[in-house]
Formats: sequence, C-alpha cells, structure tokens
Amino acid sequence: MKTNWVLTAASWLLGFLWVMPLLYALWAAIHPSEYATHLSLLAPWTGHNFAVAWAAAPFPRYLLNTFILVTLVLVAQFVLCTPAAYAFARMRFPGREVVFAIVLLQLMVMPDVLLVANYTSLAHLGLVDSILGIALPYLGSAFGIFLLRQTFRQVPQELDDAARLEGSGLLAIIWRVYVPLARPTYVAYGLVSVSYHWNNFLWPLIVTNSVSTRPLTVGLSVFASTDQGVDWSVISAATLMTSAPLLLAFLLFQRQFVQSFMRAGIR
Amino acid sequence: MLGRRALLGALPVLAAPAIVRAQTAQSLTFYYPIAVGGPLQAVMDGYCADYKKETGVTVNPVYAGNYGDALTKAQTAIKAGQGPHFAVLLAAEMHSLQDADILVSLDEIGLDADGKKWVDSFYPAFMANSHVGGKTWSVPFQRSTLIAYYNKQAFSEAGLDPEAFPKDWAGMSKAAQTLTKQDGSGRVTRWGIKIAGDLGNAQWTFGALANQVGQKLMNEAGTETYFDAPKTVEALTYWRDLAPRGTPPGISAWPVLSPDFLEGNTAIIWHTTGNLTNLRGKAKFPFGVAGVPGKDSPHTVVGGGNLYFFKHASAAERTASLRFAQWISAPERAADWSIKTGYIASSPAAYDTPALKQYVAGFPAAAVARDFLPVATGELSTFENQRIQKVLTDQIQAVLNGQKEPGPALADAQRESTRVLRQFL
Repeated sequence: MKTNWVLTAASWLLGFLWVMPLLYALWAAIHPSEYATHLSLLAPWTGHNFAVAWAAAPFPRYLLNTFILVTLVLVAQFVLCTPAAYAFARMRFPGREVVFAIVLLQLMVMPDVLLVANYTSLAHLGLVDSILGIALPYLGSAFGIFLLRQTFRQVPQELDDAARLEGSGLLAIIWRVYVPLARPTYVAYGLVSVSYHWNNFLWPLIVTNSVSTRPLTVGLSVFASTDQGVDWSVISAATLMTSAPLLLAFLLFQRQFVQSFMRAGIR
Repeated sequence: MLGRRALLGALPVLAAPAIVRAQTAQSLTFYYPIAVGGPLQAVMDGYCADYKKETGVTVNPVYAGNYGDALTKAQTAIKAGQGPHFAVLLAAEMHSLQDADILVSLDEIGLDADGKKWVDSFYPAFMANSHVGGKTWSVPFQRSTLIAYYNKQAFSEAGLDPEAFPKDWAGMSKAAQTLTKQDGSGRVTRWGIKIAGDLGNAQWTFGALANQVGQKLMNEAGTETYFDAPKTVEALTYWRDLAPRGTPPGISAWPVLSPDFLEGNTAIIWHTTGNLTNLRGKAKFPFGVAGVPGKDSPHTVVGGGNLYFFKHASAAERTASLRFAQWISAPERAADWSIKTGYIASSPAAYDTPALKQYVAGFPAAAVARDFLPVATGELSTFENQRIQKVLTDQIQAVLNGQKEPGPALADAQRESTRVLRQFL
C-alpha cells in the first residue's frame, strides 16, 4: 500500500510538470499582457489575445491545410507501409534482409540534411508550393514499415495458413487477418505521425509560398517577432488555438490511445 | 527552359542591349522576412497591388519567416533553380551570400544616371554593409540602429534628470547603478540596464560597444576581424563591469528585454529602433528614446535587412527587379513602411515627405534614431558570417559569465576566426 501511495504522488507530480506549460499558456492567453508573468488571482480576464492572434493570420485556411496534410500523409503511409511490412515479415525473397537494412537506414538520416535534395526533386516534379509537395518526402516511412513488420511477425502463422486454405488471396489475407490484428499499432503509429506533421515547421516553410498551402506552424511563426521581443500572451493564445484540435482529439480518444501504446510497445 | 535561358543570356552579345531592355519581365517573386509585429503581410501585399496597377507588372511577395528562415528558404530554392528574383535578407549576410555565388551586383544589372542617383540617395550608414570590391551588392530596405529606451518615471524616482540621458560610458555606469533598486531583503526589483548577450544578438550589441571606443570589428572585404585589438578588449571589459551593480550578472536574452522593460524590471534597454512602434503601443509609463552612449560621445551600430538581387534571374528579370526596388524604396513608400514598422526610413528624402514629417512632429522619438545615423558603424559582417558570430558570442558569454578574462577570451576568438577566414584571404 505504501509504495502505491508514493507511486501515485510521483505520477501526479510528473503529470503536473508535464501540464505546466499548457496551464501557463492558458493563463497568459486569457489575461492582458502585463499579467503574463504576474500570477495574480485578481488579474482581469480578456479575450483580446485570441482576437489579436486570430486577426494576424488566416488561421481557418491554415487549419484546413494542416488537416489535409496530416490526413494525406497518414493515409498514404498506411497504404504504402502495410504491403511493405507484410513482405518483410512473411514473404521469402532473395536479398530480403539487405533491402530491409536499406529501408532501416532511412531512420538514421535526419530529414533536415535532405532539404536541398528534396526541394530539387520537387522542383523537377513541379510540386513546389503544394500540399502534396510538403507531404511527398514523408509518404514512405521507414519507421512505419519497421513497426508494422514487427507486429505482423507476431501474428500466428496458423491464422495466415487457415485464411489461405479458405481460399483468400494475398490482399484479402492482409486486409482480413493482419490489419485487424495490428490495429493498436496503426493507432499508435497514426498518433506519432499526425503529431509530427502537425508540428513540422522548417520543411513546410521552405517549400511553400502561399496562404493556400501553408500549414498552421508556418502561420504561427508570424508571432515570433524577434526585433521587438515576444508577446507571451498573444503567442500563447495562438498556440492554444492551433493545438486545440489535437488536444481535443487526444482527450476524446484517450483510452484507445493509451491502450494502443501499451499493446504496440511504443513508449 | 535551359535553351531559353541560354538564349536570353546570349542576347546581349547578339543584339543591341536596347532590345533586351525592351523586353520586360511581367512577373517577379521576392521573399521577405518579418521581425516586428503588426499586419505587415497585408501592407506588403498592398504595395505590390499598387505596383501592378501602376506598371502592369505582377510582383509576388512571399513571407519567409524570420531572417534566418528567409535565408535558408532563399538559398534552398535558388540551389534548386526555383528561387526568388530578389529578397530582403540581413544586411550582414552580404559576404556569405557572395560566397554562395548567388548574388548579382547592382553595377552588373546596370545603373543609368538615375539609378546611380538612387543608390546615392540612401543614408550612407545604411550602405556600410553593401560595398565590396568597388561594387554595390544591396540597397537598404528595413533598417535599424541600436538605441536606448529608458523609463522616465524610474529616472525621476532615482533622482536623475529624465530629459538628460547619459552620453558617455562613465555617466552610463553611474546611472545604471543609481537606477538599480533593491527591496528590504536585498533582492533586486529593478535593474539599471539590460543588454542582449545571446547568440545572434551579442555580436550586434558588441559592434556598437566597439564603435563606442572607435574600433571596427572587421574590414570591408569581410576577410579579417579585429577581435583582439586593445580597444575591442576595452569595450568588452566595460560591458562586463556593468554587472553586478548596474546589470544582472550573466546573459540577458534579446527576446525578453522588451517584456522586462515594459514590466519595469529594468530601467534601460539597448534595443533596435524596430521596436519603437511596439513599445509605444504598450508602455504604461512615459519612456524616452536616446542614442546609446560611447566612451566619450554616443556611437552606435546599424542593423536590419537589405534588398539583394539574384544571379539566376534573366537579364530582363534583373532589370525589372531593380525597377521595383527603386519604386518600393521611393520616399513615400519608405516613409509609409517606417511609420507602420518603426524601422528608420532608408533615405533623408523620406523624412521630407508630409506623412513622415507629420508623424515625427507628433512622436519626436521616431526621429531620434535617424539623428544618430552619422555616428553609426556597419554591423559585423564577414565570410562564414554565422560561424564568426558564434565564435565571438561564445567568448563574450564566457566573459559575461565570469569564466574568462576579456583579454584571453578575445584572443581565443581572434585565433579561431583567423583560422576560419584564412581560406578567403
């Protein structure tokens, strides 16, 4: 019982530390700027910061762009990684290990190193300044392939064989046997992928030029007005607005996410 | 594409230059960063719409983040052959951009008599980071200097004359110490002064300090630095000795200077003129603007962004870019941009426009920075600019943190920068 109590207290402490930046952002966002660093209970409330932030950039459009971007990336990653993972997990072909090692190599390369090379490819394809252009370098994911392969390998071979005896084709086996069993992995990987692309900044900034393609993060950078210092209140309001959809989604599906992470073994 | 470009390039040789001039580019793209608050993207879009109405030429302004982002974005796009025709980038990046071999000089684009007059119309201080090898590589767009903002209320409270900001180092130190206020337990509730010592800003502040003893930090060619000169050491020693009684020990960071000033945590800050409009809107106390002091008399440093033109553009596009640059830096536009941002207008003529005259009459502080331009120097600008800045800043921070003495620290900085710059000599 005693250790339990200690554990609970420690969890609360860690939880508090984690949520503190968020609480601060909330505090700064709903009070005037002069209270940003004065924690006074008597500070007046205001919606002014949200109004200023909202007016500073076309956020509805940016939100739509971000939404299209993360959906596009996620769907493409699932569609591309699943067959690849199945091939690496269950099919026998010469050079399988070598090819898999090459795929894993991609994990070692920082995406920032490839900025110029990726940009050049996109320029050749005529995809600069398009949402597809932002997404393209990320559609094939080594991490996704690796993760799904590990999960698929744990699927009992008997299920595969049984489906085959019933007359299922290759795609039907993947769709009916492997994908349902790997659902926690898909959810967990989806969360990692969505939050990464929701937050990605440098690449979208470089490859986009217009309001119709830019995601939220690039819109947010308007507030990093370095020549005059940071207005914490407005930047907090903007941050809350842009991260709210993700936070809400997480709170709503919290149970599923937590269970998925436990089962998928990503921590 | 390649064929057409090669053909255009060959045209001047094949045909009379007048024919090339006659073909004008109808669409241009440029990148610009924003480093101050306000709906400036809309302002810039408005300028370009006006230009289209006047000339029929479409100019697409692309907001490119802060100065660092804009530089990365422009260089990446240009390497991929899809870059902008011109861009607003830090004036101090001239040598690095030249080294990347992507710039074209104004002389090469071709300046007629009017063009030469235009280049001469800017404040000379703003051209301090534009010349190398006898050519002009950029023109000022949104420029600033380091100036002092001070809390007049705090001055009165401490028994100092709020209309007489110190003009020399001795007066500055004394004022800073007088302004520092402690509560009963000895905790400081208000510092006298805060100066930025963080990466990306320390070298700028320090450029002003060096200029205040009459020392330059680099040569015009950007191939040599003078970090270990006795006067440079003197400047750093002065900065360090402001602590702990006038300024907090250690590093103060640029982005928190204005919030600290607005909250009364510090009575004086050395900051950019680009901050003026922001502070004016937010300060709850009367504040003053003054030139930063010097060892004997006020001296400062210039900063901000210039317009650069890129080599990969065709002859017609280069000419069209130059024409737009002339249009957007004309006195009326320069005055308007200055009022909306707080930057110093780039030419004296802009201060003769009715709009800016009226603005300065209602807000005299807006003209203070301009008045100190004659005593301003160019900012630290060398080849491998960002590396050299880091080398210098590391040593400045070591001194401010009390880990090193100014002399040995700056000798180390000089040794390292000499090593980095050797290949460019």
